[in-house]
Amino acid sequence: MDYELGDAAQALRVRLRELIAQEIPPGFLGAFSANPDDLALTQAFCKTLADEGLLCLAWPTEYGGGGGSVWEQTVVREEMWAHHEPRGAQYMGVNWVGPALMRHGTDEQRAKHLPAISAGEVIWCQGFSEPEAGTDLASLRTRAVLDDDGWLISGQKVWTSYALMAQWCVLAACTDPAAKSNERLTLFIVPMDREGIEVRPIASMLGPHHLNEVFLDSVRVTEADVLGKVGAGWKVMRDALAYERVGIARYARCESLLSRLQDALVADGLWDALAPALKSRWVRALISLRVARLLAYKAIAQQNEGIDPAAAAAARIVTTTCDQTVAELLLEAAGAASLDAGPDAPIHGAIDDHWRYAQAATVSSGTIEVQRILVARSVLGSSR
Amino acid sequence: MNTDLPPDVVAFADSARHSLTRLGGVDLALRTEVDRDLREPVSRALASIGAFELDVRGDLDELLAGAQLCRIAGAVALAWPVVDELLSVDGARLALINPAAPRVDHGDLGGEWVGADLDGEAHSLEFGEPRSRAKLGPFLMPASLGPARPPVAADDVARHLVLGSWRVLGSLEAALDQVVEHVGARKQFGQALAEFQAVRFAIADASVAVRGLEELAKFTTWRLVTASAAHHSADACALRLHAVDTAVAVLRTCHQMLGAIGFCDEHDVSVLDRHLQPLLRLPVSAESLALRLVPTVEAHEFETLFS
Ligand SMILES: Cc1cc2nc3c(=O)[nH]c(=O)nc-3n(C[C@H](O)[C@H](O)[C@H](O)COP(=O)(O)OP(=O)(O)OC[C@H]3O[C@@H](n4cnc5c(N)ncnc54)[C@H](O)[C@@H]3O)c2cc1C
Repeated sequence: MDYELGDAAQALRVRLRELIAQEIPPGFLGAFSANPDDLALTQAFCKTLADEGLLCLAWPTEYGGGGGSVWEQTVVREEMWAHHEPRGAQYMGVNWVGPALMRHGTDEQRAKHLPAISAGEVIWCQGFSEPEAGTDLASLRTRAVLDDDGWLISGQKVWTSYALMAQWCVLAACTDPAAKSNERLTLFIVPMDREGIEVRPIASMLGPHHLNEVFLDSVRVTEADVLGKVGAGWKVMRDALAYERVGIARYARCESLLSRLQDALVADGLWDALAPALKSRWVRALISLRVARLLAYKAIAQQNEGIDPAAAAAARIVTTTCDQTVAELLLEAAGAASLDAGPDAPIHGAIDDHWRYAQAATVSSGTIEVQRILVARSVLGSSR
Repeated sequence: MNTDLPPDVVAFADSARHSLTRLGGVDLALRTEVDRDLREPVSRALASIGAFELDVRGDLDELLAGAQLCRIAGAVALAWPVVDELLSVDGARLALINPAAPRVDHGDLGGEWVGADLDGEAHSLEFGEPRSRAKLGPFLMPASLGPARPPVAADDVARHLVLGSWRVLGSLEAALDQVVEHVGARKQFGQALAEFQAVRFAIADASVAVRGLEELAKFTTWRLVTASAAHHSADACALRLHAVDTAVAVLRTCHQMLGAIGFCDEHDVSVLDRHLQPLLRLPVSAESLALRLVPTVEAHEFETLFS
């Protein structure tokens, strides 16, 4: 047994922190703000990472990647999330669109998209969810109707993150309503400026850009736009989402925020006056976060063995729950200024930001109920 | 024993609910985030139902009527500091604050304000410019302490905590109603969400929590009028602490059951949740409220069957 991440991973963490300190201002709260400078900052940072071969560290070298180990990838995920994802929306392209293209894309698709992703030049969005198809994704209704020139896609997507920023979308549509549920869908790679696509932002408590509606009115796609095979959309989707098995390294942001608030409270002479119960919750939160991290490591260590399908779900359950526990703790510990937002608020407004976004942790990319179903199935067997 | 609200109070509550819902309900609160002048009709509506004549320092019925008004204000996220207004001191609205960093919901409304901490230490409050659009507690204003004022009566502080708790209750009831409706109507996997056991249990727990809070709110209000004054502060503190704990848990369930739609500004639960935050966090955190109760427990003064 050895929990060392390895010298390369440790050195990488140091290097990433150096780069972040150089390029990302301390009050940065992510690209998804009302301020377009934040997006520009992340685009520039992606270039920096790409230049050092760190943006697509996980990818094989033949696709412009760094060929990094899973532990180096883990370090990248942790450091990026801890520092409010200075890659902006890029992680979508890097984490699953790229790998999905490698496995299921055509030579032309790979040649066209992979270099652009690994250079940090494009933003992708994921057009899966629909008003009637959330957890039950397989029942989505957006229709791709075959004609002589390919398909015309009509329908509506919803909750599509970064749709206004994105140049490309991986769009799921039904190509054969009569087929079995795992053969109904096809994935298409569609440029967001194609005729017939309209994006409307949805104002939400999470902040700008996280949620959008995408309306599709006879959007033309051809054979060349299909990702994988026609009718294999469900398989490609599941496969693609498997790259996101353990999900976001939320524990890393939580550990960072707790550490920053602790420093701020000590500096302001407020730490000693913190209610003992809060300190005790603080300690418990740190322990839970450590558990979350270890469960993620366990799932990652088993990545290629496929032993325990519940491992990733367990990691997700603990880390998303921690996100919300820590959100409450931060608000309480910050005291009277806890609800202040913006750069002058405690730790540059990161508490308000975290609390709002944490509310969605147990919903976005697979609800906690779905994760529980997976764990229960593994422990108890299938219920049917 | 009779645990029902008096009929007069129920009738007043019905008419208040009717008029504040007709005014625009939660949607009005959302619109007020961008146009603060929309508080004008709120104040007129409150005046027309006789809200400003209620004497919540008076007998049980008056206090209960005030409590129901606060409950309805919570249900529609009313963009008005009803509790502060009901407990005005010499014409100045009374806000409960943490003197280290006073923050007051709707502090920009003008008029005179008194800020008191939980021990009743009071100051006049002064306000600067409204904050730029914040999502949580969008009407919260940073304040600074002006000249000291005579201390506020302990019973006023207690009634403030209690009326605020009724407001929390109203918001939770409204949020849960929305969620119940949603899970009954929304279908996934060919059936209503309400058919899934996981959903049923979550809603059941939330419902139990809200029922419990309602009973505690009624009991505490009754005790404020009937129990000896020595108990009022502790009872009020206990209610508020429980209201906060319940709110955090129930709102979490509400969001979870709604999925992504519950985060949208357009959804009532998002508005209810965001607008409720100041009451849940201020003037002090839940843990601080709990600490204030410890001496009461140590002195065997916390009401139990054995105290
Ligand atoms: C911040 C954020 C970003 C997102 N980004 C994207 C994106 O970029 N692209 C995209 O395609 N989608 C995106 N989504 C959508 C996300 O994938 C869905 O919200 C999620 O799949 C849940 O669907 P829903 O919101 O419709 O909830 P519903 O499916 O309506 O579920 C509501 C509740 O019912 C529960 N439930 C449903 N079925 C069952 C069951 N069988 N048993 C027990 N409980 C059940 C759910 O767990 C949940 O608690 C995003 C969502 C959020 C919050």
